[in-house]
Amino acid sequence: MRALFKTLFGSARTIGAAAAAAGLAVLALHGPAPALAGAVLPVALLAGAAYLARH
Amino acid sequence: MPHFGIILATYLGACVEWVEAFTIVLAVALSIGWASAATAAGAALLVLAGMTLTGTALLAYIPDFAWVQGIIAAFLILFGLRWLAKAIARGAGLRPLHDEVAQFNAVRASKGLSDHHAAWLIAFNGTLLEGLEVWLIVVALGVQSHHTLPVAGAAIAALLTVIAVGALLHRPLARVPENALKFIVGGALLGFGSFWLLQALGYAWPLGDGALPALVAFYLLGGLGLVALLRRRAGAAA
Repeated sequence: MRALFKTLFGSARTIGAAAAAAGLAVLALHGPAPALAGAVLPVALLAGAAYLARH
Repeated sequence: MPHFGIILATYLGACVEWVEAFTIVLAVALSIGWASAATAAGAALLVLAGMTLTGTALLAYIPDFAWVQGIIAAFLILFGLRWLAKAIARGAGLRPLHDEVAQFNAVRASKGLSDHHAAWLIAFNGTLLEGLEVWLIVVALGVQSHHTLPVAGAAIAALLTVIAVGALLHRPLARVPENALKFIVGGALLGFGSFWLLQALGYAWPLGDGALPALVAFYLLGGLGLVALLRRRAGAAA
């Protein structure tokens, strides 16, 4: 069951990094410059990938 | 790009997973014979086919397309992020590369292989677990692009490729550039996932569908940059 969960969703760190990136994108989308959301999400996800690669 | 990219990403991603499943089935087959091991793998593939039909039907049943798009995008992001991060870590030398021969030896050394039933289950579970990732890619990309059949076809083509090469070589497919494939597929899935997530949230991409290849390129080039950066840092620390 644990292997199944991990296969579908990944580790807690992966979920946290993805949620943080999505949260930042939502904030950008509802902020004063919504057009920036298209840049915020990829940059945040790449930063998440860098964090996960080191941990 | 979108449809060709979806099919290519599915094929490459499925190749990686089927190679890992083949290693397990091969190790089991040497103990309980090819017929039994193939039955176990076939049973797992049938379960996966059933899950693909069910998953596709369930997602198609949800009337709000933005919700479906959001759910699919979230899964693709989780999946792509994991693959890209793993490939970056391996590329930078922070983690050892996946070793099919070592995995083959580990399965061969497991005690379960002495018992026919337990060995059958090892082959079944191994194929099912590796195949789950293929299932996820097929359902997510297939439903979202409305091209489930060609996407499923790409996964089956990858399976046939691995079976053909495996049958020819009769040993673990250790020379498949697994990390490079994981890197490319991870970047592609992240590209599709982030494109569809923001679209589901009501964002209009400035270039329309043209933003998709730009996103994939961003993740791949950014990933390459991270590999170089982390490798240099690891070298400086050593």
